[in-house]
Amino acid sequence: MEPSAPLAIRVPAPRDVGATSTIIEIEDFNFSYGAKQALFDVNLKLDARRVTAFIGPSGCGKTTLLRCLNRMNDLIDGTVINGGRIRIHGVDINGPEVDAIELRKRVGMVFQKSNPFPKSIYENVIYGLRIQGVGSKSRLDEIVEKSLRGAALWDEVKDRLHESGVGLSGGQQQRLCIARAIAVQPEVILMDEPCSALDPIATAKVEELIHDLKKDYTIIIVTHSMQQAARVSDKTAFFYLGRLVEYDDTQTIFMNPANPQTEAYVSGRFG
Amino acid sequence: MSTEPMPDFPPHMKRFFDAELETFRTHLITMGETSIRQVREAIKALVDGDIALAKKVVAADDELDQLEIKIDEEAVRYMSLRAPIATELRMVIVGMKASHDLERVGDEAVSIAKRAVRLAAEPPLKPYVDIPRMTTMALEMLRDALDCFLHIDTEKAVAVIRRDEQVDQLNKQLYRELTSFMVENPGNISRAIELMFISKSIERIADHATNIAEEMIYLAKGKDVRHDDAVKKGVSNP
Amino acid sequence: MPAPVPNHPFVTRSSRGRLIEGAVFWLMRLATYFVLVCGLCVLGDIFLKGGRTVFQAEFPYVNVPFLTQAPETLYVFEHEGQKMQLGDRDFRAFREAATAKAKAAGQPAPQFRTESYVYSAGGIWPCIVGTVLLVVGSMSIALILGVASAIYLNEYAKDTPGVRAIRLAILNLAGVPSIVFGLFGFGLFVIFLDWNVSLLAGWFTLAFMVLPVVITASEEALKAVPKGFREGSLALGATKWQTIRKNVLPYALPGILTSSILGIARVAGETAPIMFTAAYVVRDKLPWEVEKVSDFFFQGVMALPYHIYVVSSKIPQNEYTARVQYGTAFVFLFIVAVIALSSILLRNHLRRRYQW
Repeated sequence: MEPSAPLAIRVPAPRDVGATSTIIEIEDFNFSYGAKQALFDVNLKLDARRVTAFIGPSGCGKTTLLRCLNRMNDLIDGTVINGGRIRIHGVDINGPEVDAIELRKRVGMVFQKSNPFPKSIYENVIYGLRIQGVGSKSRLDEIVEKSLRGAALWDEVKDRLHESGVGLSGGQQQRLCIARAIAVQPEVILMDEPCSALDPIATAKVEELIHDLKKDYTIIIVTHSMQQAARVSDKTAFFYLGRLVEYDDTQTIFMNPANPQTEAYVSGRFG
Repeated sequence: MSTEPMPDFPPHMKRFFDAELETFRTHLITMGETSIRQVREAIKALVDGDIALAKKVVAADDELDQLEIKIDEEAVRYMSLRAPIATELRMVIVGMKASHDLERVGDEAVSIAKRAVRLAAEPPLKPYVDIPRMTTMALEMLRDALDCFLHIDTEKAVAVIRRDEQVDQLNKQLYRELTSFMVENPGNISRAIELMFISKSIERIADHATNIAEEMIYLAKGKDVRHDDAVKKGVSNP
Repeated sequence: MPAPVPNHPFVTRSSRGRLIEGAVFWLMRLATYFVLVCGLCVLGDIFLKGGRTVFQAEFPYVNVPFLTQAPETLYVFEHEGQKMQLGDRDFRAFREAATAKAKAAGQPAPQFRTESYVYSAGGIWPCIVGTVLLVVGSMSIALILGVASAIYLNEYAKDTPGVRAIRLAILNLAGVPSIVFGLFGFGLFVIFLDWNVSLLAGWFTLAFMVLPVVITASEEALKAVPKGFREGSLALGATKWQTIRKNVLPYALPGILTSSILGIARVAGETAPIMFTAAYVVRDKLPWEVEKVSDFFFQGVMALPYHIYVVSSKIPQNEYTARVQYGTAFVFLFIVAVIALSSILLRNHLRRRYQW
C-alpha cells in the first residue's frame, strides 16, 4: 500500500494561557442607589489581560458593578458605597487620595449605545488626548492611526477621517468608541453590552476585536448574550439579585456550573 | 472614499475560534493516520512474524485512546462555548462519531497484533496473500473516507460504501478456505481460528470505514444514509 | 332601496361619537381661521398705512428722511396762498428767508399763522438706534446670566428641594407683568443704584424680564443633549467642566438660540420696563455723541415702542400723527423680524455645524 501524501494541515499553536495576575480585587463590596441596595457583598478577583464577562438577568447589578470600576456611578445622585472596597493594583479606588478623573484615564469604558461625538472621526479618537492637552499634530496623527488599527477600523475609515463619526454604521460607531477608549492608553476597558444594538456581523467584528485586544488590555464585558459571554470571555461571573452567584472559568460556567441557578440561567431556563 | 457599491454579502470572515475547529480537524486526521499506521504495522507483524513490531502496535494504542478523549473534549467545549450551527455543528458531531470509529479501528489493530504474536510461535498455515490484500482494500477505504473529511467529496464517500461488499466477499471466501483447512487437519484449528478472527477484524475495519464514509455524507449534505440500501447497492445516489 | 351592506368587518359605521368628533374638528378649524383673519387684519393695516409713510413712489422709493432724521415738530401754515407743511428746522430757515426777503423789499416781516404738531415731522432714526442698542445689550446680559445659571441648575446642582424651589421661582418669574419689572428696575437701578434713566438700567431691567425664558429654554436645550455625550467624555478622563464646554454646550447652543429669539421679540417690544428706566421721549443727541465712554452707558435713549406709545397717546391726535404712528410700527415690526431672522440663520448654521 502506498503511503498517502502528508495531510497539509497547519496545527495551530496551543492557546497561550500563560501566567495570570490579578489586577482588580473587589472585596465585600456593597452599593446602594439611595435606599435601594444594588450590590451585596461582592467578592471578585479579575485577571489582567483576560476577558471577564458579567452575566445575569436585568437588574442583577452587573452593570452597576461595572460602572463602579471607573466610578461612573459618582455622577448619579444618591449612590452610596456601604461597605467593602475595590482595589486596582492594590489601590482602593474610592480612597480619599484617588482622583476619579485620573482613574477614568486608566479604566476606559465603552457604552451600550454607541456614542460617537458629532465630530469628525479624527476628533473623536483624539478627544481624550485633547482633554489632556496633547497638541502635537504628528503625535496625534500617529495615535489616531494606531488606535483605529487597534480597533480594526483603520482600513474602513482611513480615507474619510475628517468626516463625521455619526455617519458610520452602528458597528463602525461602536468600534470608533473602542478606538477612542484605547487612544488614551487605558489598562482596563469596561464594556457595557457593547453589541446589544448591533447586527450579527457587526457583533462578530466587535467580538474579534475583543479577542485581539486582550493581548494588551484587561477587558470586562457585561452582556445579555450568553453565547457572547461563552465566545469571548475567559472567565465568567454570574450575578443574581445583586449577589455574585458563581465565578469561574467560562468553560466551567457553561459546561458544568456548580450552582443550579447558574445552570438554569446559562441554559435559558430561568425562573 | 470609493464609490463602488458594497458587495451584497460581506466576504467570509475568519473568526478567532476558527483555529479551534482547525485543531479539532487536525486531531481527527492525526487519529486517522495513526489508526491506519497501526493496522498496517499489525498486518506487517503478522506477515513477517515480527513480535517486537506487534508489541509496539499494542503499546501504541494508548495514543489513539488519548486522541479520542481529546477530540471528545474539544467537541464538547466547542459546542458549549461556540454555539456551532449548520456545517460546523455537523462537523463537530461527525468528528465525535468518526473518532469513535477510528478508536475501534485501533482496537482491531491491537487484536490483530496480539494474534500475530501467538501465530508467530508456529509456522504459517499458508502464505499470507488474501489477508494483506483485504487489508489494503480496507485501509484504502478508510483513507478515502478520511479524505472526504479534508475535501468534501460525496462521490468518493459513496464509492467507499459500495466497496464494503468486496471486502465482505473476501472475508467469506477466506472463511470457507480456513474452514476447509480445519476439516483437513485438526492441528490447524487454532491457527485457522486466529486467522478467521483476523479476517473478521479486517472486515470490521472496512465496516468502520463505511461508517465514516456515511458520516461524511451527513457532514456534506446533512443527509443520513446509514440504513439506505439503495445507496449501498448503487441504485441511487444520496 | 338601501345599498347592500358589504360583507367584511371593516365597514364604516356612523355613530354619535364619530359625529361629535367631526363637529369638534370643525370648531378647531374655525378657531384657527379666525385667528388667521385677525392677524392678517392687524398686520395688513400696519403694512398698508405704515408702508405709505416708509415708501414713496419716486426714487429712491424709500422715505430716507423718515429713517435717518430725528423727530421734529411739524408746522402747518399758509403762505402766499399756498398751504405749507414744514419741519422745525426747515420752517425756521423758511421764516428767516422770508423775513430777509421782505426786509430787502422794504416790506414788514410776514406774519405766519402756524399750527404746530409735535413729533409729526422728521424721522425715527434715534428710536431705531436706541431699540437696537437695548436689544443687543439686554440679550447679551440675559444669555450670559441665563446660560450660566442653566448650566449650574442642569449640570452641577443636585436635585434637592432647594433647587426645585429655585426652578419653580424662575418659572413663576416668567409670568410677572412687564410693568412690575419696569418698577423693579426703576427702584433698583435708577433710584437705589443711582444709574438714572440710562441704557444700563434698561439693559438689566429687560434682561431680568427675559431671564426666566432664557434659563428654562437653556435647561431644556441642555437636557436634550444625549447623556452619552457626557458619559463618553467623562469616561475618557475629562473633567465635568471640560465635558460641558467641549461636548455639551456646543450642541445645546442651537436650542438655546431658538428660544432666545422669542426673548428678542419680547425685549424689543416691551414698553413698560423701559419707560421708567431707559427711554427718553426725545433726545437730540445720538447715543454715540458722548464725551466719555462711561457716559455711553449712563444715557437714556429713544426707543421705537416707547415712541409709538408717545405719539399715539401722549400728544394731541390728528391726521399728521397717524402717519408717524403707522410708519414707526412698520419699521418696528421690520426690525424685530430682521433680528429674529438673523438669529434663525445663526441657529441653522450652528445646527449644521454641530449635528448629531
